[in-house]
Amino acid sequence: MTDDTQGGTMTAQPAATRSTALIEATGLSRSFGETRAAESVGFEVRRGEILGFLGPNGAGKSTTLRMITGLLAPDEGAAKICGIDVTENPIEAKQKFGYLPESIPLYDEMEVEEYLRFVGSARGMTGSDLDKGVDRMVDRLGLVQMLRRRCGTLSKGFRQRVGLAQALIHDPDVVILDEPTNGLDPRQIIEVRDLIRDLAKDCAVIFSTHILQEIAAICSRIIVIHSGRLIADGTPDELTGSSSESWQIVTRGEGVPEELCAEMQLSEGNPGAPGETIHRWNGDSAPDLNALEKRLEEAGTSLLQAGRGRESLEQVYLRLTAGEEPKR
Amino acid sequence: MKNILIVARRETGAYFGTPIAWIFIALQVAILSFFFFLYSPFFIIESADMRVWFGLTPFTLMVFAPAVTMRLWSEELRTGSTEVLLSLPVKVSDLVIGKWLSSVVVLLASIVCSFGIPMTIGWLSASPVDWGPIIGGYIGTMLAGMMFLALGCWVSAMSHNQVVSLLVGVTAGIVLVLALSPDFAMFLSASNESMARAVESLGVQAHFRSIERGVLAISDVIYFLSGTCFFLVLTMFQVELKKQ
Repeated sequence: MTDDTQGGTMTAQPAATRSTALIEATGLSRSFGETRAAESVGFEVRRGEILGFLGPNGAGKSTTLRMITGLLAPDEGAAKICGIDVTENPIEAKQKFGYLPESIPLYDEMEVEEYLRFVGSARGMTGSDLDKGVDRMVDRLGLVQMLRRRCGTLSKGFRQRVGLAQALIHDPDVVILDEPTNGLDPRQIIEVRDLIRDLAKDCAVIFSTHILQEIAAICSRIIVIHSGRLIADGTPDELTGSSSESWQIVTRGEGVPEELCAEMQLSEGNPGAPGETIHRWNGDSAPDLNALEKRLEEAGTSLLQAGRGRESLEQVYLRLTAGEEPKR
Repeated sequence: MKNILIVARRETGAYFGTPIAWIFIALQVAILSFFFFLYSPFFIIESADMRVWFGLTPFTLMVFAPAVTMRLWSEELRTGSTEVLLSLPVKVSDLVIGKWLSSVVVLLASIVCSFGIPMTIGWLSASPVDWGPIIGGYIGTMLAGMMFLALGCWVSAMSHNQVVSLLVGVTAGIVLVLALSPDFAMFLSASNESMARAVESLGVQAHFRSIERGVLAISDVIYFLSGTCFFLVLTMFQVELKKQ
């Protein structure tokens, strides 16, 4: 599942629905010196969709999001928000989205209400419009007790809420959140997830994370990015179901050594439960389990379990980001 | 214009909501007053002028302007709040001018706080006060201050470390005030006349001195205003560079 998947997904969209995409990224590439932080990343997000941006730390998630928001100029490619190119018309495009960066930077010396009013007015809100916007955010994010508190004195959870409030105050069509649940306690994580679900009713949400449970819990679509390249794009079902016909061979310990895998028609092993390694069967027909068991013992391991089945999201992720490292 | 004021209001609030502006104003006025009363012939010959005060002004601005502006961009770059700021639908030029304007407000406040000195002179002096050079001195302070603050903004946009911004800003100020000084120009004039003239016309002191004498020549005003614009444009480029 590499670029083919991406290309397949993109070309499979009918022309009519493509025009309704609120976020369109095409061929976004960006290098920092010798490092390719993003390479030909392309995808679309429609109204009502929650796109999970998944990848290991340093995979290029933030770089891609920053290019979509216009904070970083791409070397190649383009990003459009609601059909507006972020490089050519940055001011119009910025009016359409709200963005929460990973580090939740607030102005520590400002009071929460003062900060929200500043962001609202910089987004062109005035008078009763601004009052309503602030009130709506205060209600929605439970900030009523915090209005007079300086941002610098807020706990991590409340900082996150204020950060979300500034991203949502102008009721944007597109919401871009970079690791919005990072560092929150479980209750706060659930609250943020509920909020994101609620938001997606009338806008397009894109959020990055490296937490798999989060993606599984709320995303309608998942993009996996690894070493700067988009390596998978689909619904959670598509990703986990794509290997439903394949056999999984669970072996003891470290599994089959890498050099023997191809010969035995097995994929390279991925870690499973503690003390177990999972291989996929690459053969065209079902494996002869007796013969396989024997070969596994010769290879220094033993067969624990074999069967057809869907991979869990964890397994898909591990396979995508470790087993099939893209060639650079 | 509206966005410039929104940004300027936030930044001014940050200056006066924290001790930064108050410390700056108190120090600036205290240091200038100290030297003024120490060196001015005011109490000896009742000379009703502020020549000592304004003679020192380029030197205090050279240090205090980068101290005021060092946080404007460096602090945002350090905390990452530029990410939010630059994601707002506000032009970079509006952000740069708005931030600079807030530092001009601090300068203006420090000028207003020093009005006690000319008022004291007017009150105590037996001879009539020549207000021309005093008004000229304040206009010069404002013009030179605006340029130093624009320079400080540019330097601040270069580094996420405030101390680095301060040191580079002071060094650049030293070049403008001390290296490109009339004294140095005089030294050069023996060997290279045109170079000497260039040095003098690029430096702050020559222009400041003529305004301070009460002569508001258009060339001096243009020098300070074009210097201000030059450094503000450099700041805009510097901020745009963050996207690259």
